[in-house]
Amino acid sequence: MFGLDYSWLADPAYQQWLLTGVINTLKLATLSSSVAILIGMLGAFGLTLRIFWLDALIELFVEVFRNTPPLLQMLFAYFTLSSLGLRVTDPSTGLSVPLLSAFACAAISLSLFGGALAIEAFRSGIETMPRSIIDAARSLGYGRWARFWRIEAPIATRICLPALTNILTNLFKTTSQASVITVPELMYYAGQIYNDTFRTLEVMILVLLIYVVLVSILTFAMARLEAFMAFPGYGRGH
Amino acid sequence: MTGFKRIMGVSALALAAFCVGSTVVAGTLENVKARGKLVVGVKNDYVPYGYLNDKGDVVGFEVSLAKYVAKELLGSEDKIELVPVVASNRIEFLTAGRIDAIFATLGVTAERAKVIDFTTEYVSAAGPSVLAAKEATLSKWEELKGKSVCGIQGSYYNKKMTEEFGITLVAFKTQPEAYRALKDNRCIGFVFDDMTLQQKLKEPDWASYKIAVAPYEFQPMAGGLRKGDTEFREAVDKAIGKAEAEGKLIAWETEFGMPHSDYIAARAKAAAAKN
Repeated sequence: MFGLDYSWLADPAYQQWLLTGVINTLKLATLSSSVAILIGMLGAFGLTLRIFWLDALIELFVEVFRNTPPLLQMLFAYFTLSSLGLRVTDPSTGLSVPLLSAFACAAISLSLFGGALAIEAFRSGIETMPRSIIDAARSLGYGRWARFWRIEAPIATRICLPALTNILTNLFKTTSQASVITVPELMYYAGQIYNDTFRTLEVMILVLLIYVVLVSILTFAMARLEAFMAFPGYGRGH
Repeated sequence: MTGFKRIMGVSALALAAFCVGSTVVAGTLENVKARGKLVVGVKNDYVPYGYLNDKGDVVGFEVSLAKYVAKELLGSEDKIELVPVVASNRIEFLTAGRIDAIFATLGVTAERAKVIDFTTEYVSAAGPSVLAAKEATLSKWEELKGKSVCGIQGSYYNKKMTEEFGITLVAFKTQPEAYRALKDNRCIGFVFDDMTLQQKLKEPDWASYKIAVAPYEFQPMAGGLRKGDTEFREAVDKAIGKAEAEGKLIAWETEFGMPHSDYIAARAKAAAAKN
């Protein structure tokens, strides 16, 4: 079809590279998405406490990590942190080596980037929640913590699910930038394969399809989750 | 599920748009003459072949050669546009028609010959070697098995490194990153073209490093042209032959601080005898 040549796919080395790439992409995406959601929840909870210094701290965190390119954050973590002294001595060689591996740097910066976006998403969910529900919970004697976990978080999560889906899809695609700091994910190997075979178009089409499939699975799962969690009167519960 | 179907439909459209873009271009010589400018892909981070000098101009052995070819084709060495390329995009730039020729440390390989045409070979370059700290006890490729070694994404020997020598390759996009990572001890060595590493060793910053593992091969280097454009290839080859006969390549070796190679001297002699 279209004169495309996929004979290079028969090479076991390239199959192994693609498989390793997909696995590393999934690892990175899963880990950073989970941590990002956790950061988002904790941050949003922190904001509901209305403590002056905590608000300022969370806001600073959001501004720093939302407003800088994740690529720059990764490069910073990978090259700069070790230069600033974040190093350990490797017992097997006695050399001073950077503490954070490439994968750790990518996972951390993606988690923080996604986390900053998730805080904003959760916050918007909480803020758009009808005031009357919170007042009702208060009058029933719910404390701060119980009110957040039992009333605010469940409702806010439902409200902000579409926004969260956006953030997670974006985060998934941003994992491709980790190739710059040598994390051997899908794009890292894809680049090497088309440099070896010069079948640029074919490799890019395949990688594009892999991303479409993987991200579609994610968005499909999120849509199902949204439908499952819908409650009468809101969003999909209409 | 309609949403999913719609996604697939859009993807198919995008694919179709991709496929239309890859038509074959011929008649480069006419195009170049009509345009009055030769567009060449060169390196700008690769001493001595193509790099930035103190003034920020791109200079180097292959840049001089490209300018000479422009002079032969168009009458002036200023009728040239130098496009910085890297190993991972140069062939794509050429086949997509963004540049007319590659003069960017392009090694002659059978794989590449399937996709592009090579000009006459003008340099015999040592293959990759490994730069490592002076204390390193490694001296053979086999000893690198299982070790983390820095490299550059897209290098032609990367597959050999991982599959044959069993190296854990830590491949970066650009050289400065790889050098930084080597200094940070993220890898025990840096596998890259021997000529570049030799030049690096001359810098005071790198006095405590050495070429730990010597190249396993020597490879001819040539310019790259779009496949099947015989007229253009012959014109470029003629220009390169003339430069060789005039001893230009030997002069450029001197100008850019390269050790004089027997290969270039022999080619100059042969070219001069032919004229």
